[in-house]
Amino acid sequence: MSIVKRRFFAGFMRSQERWLNSMADKGYRLVKTGKLEYTFDECEPGKYRYAVEYVGDKSMEDEEAYKAFLEDMGYTVFYKNINLDFSTAKLVYRPWANKGGRISTTGSTLFKELLIVEKENDGTEFRLHTEKEDRIEYYKRLSHPWYFAVFLCLALMVIYWPMVLPVVLFAGLTALFALPIIIMECRIHKIKKEKELEE
Amino acid sequence: MKDNVKSGALTEVTFFILLSVFTPKHGYAIMQFIEEKTKGRLVLGAGSLYGAINTLTEKGWIEPYGEGGRTKEYKITAEGRQIAEKELARLKELTATAAEIIGGGDPA
Repeated sequence: MSIVKRRFFAGFMRSQERWLNSMADKGYRLVKTGKLEYTFDECEPGKYRYAVEYVGDKSMEDEEAYKAFLEDMGYTVFYKNINLDFSTAKLVYRPWANKGGRISTTGSTLFKELLIVEKENDGTEFRLHTEKEDRIEYYKRLSHPWYFAVFLCLALMVIYWPMVLPVVLFAGLTALFALPIIIMECRIHKIKKEKELEE
Repeated sequence: MKDNVKSGALTEVTFFILLSVFTPKHGYAIMQFIEEKTKGRLVLGAGSLYGAINTLTEKGWIEPYGEGGRTKEYKITAEGRQIAEKELARLKELTATAAEIIGGGDPA
């Protein structure tokens, strides 16, 4: 029997991971993702584990190659959107993506910013990024869009200077968008400290 | 994947991946090889493995092997072999020095 749940996690990937794992523990395995809907089939409780990864900065080619690689590993991979948007045709420029930014459109990489990866539970924690150097790289990639957002808000503050209302608004947004950067930098700092002890 | 350029030392993961593809292997087999040879001490995540394979391919130390279907196999290149041999020599020297000082082995 299938059940459909509606949830929206935006960029909170760890929360999404925890929720999917708790669903699996209750005996529900993910079979389909929509913008908001997650379809589950019944399964043996705890049989599957989930990991969520950001791939929104990859080109369509890279994203598909990575997905194929994970599927070769025996994992099941689902695409998931990071933002909510119900337009049917759209084009987005992503200046923070690798090699000078990318244009993303419906049908290519738009609405496929995340991968949900499923593997059969073997009793160990399911992590895609285990190596310190690789984890630092990944957290850097995660912070790039936020750096861009902060830069944009600061630029808008300068443009609207000295009008009080917009300046206050953009200052607030700057502080808000800086939060994920601080979180990522803290994680990177922690890994770097661990590394120092080893080398 | 940061291999120490100055000393020539490889990371453990790099060295294991090079060793694993002396005979052609696909990603999953590389992962299993590493887990098996380290008796589960080193368990590599698929994302980290993917990054490492791409880095080593870019460096020209390993290369895709055969036409194959969807599953891509990799094999060590001549340059990769040289790097692995150099690393083996470096490790031998290191263990010889260590044995001399700590004892327990006959450094010949």
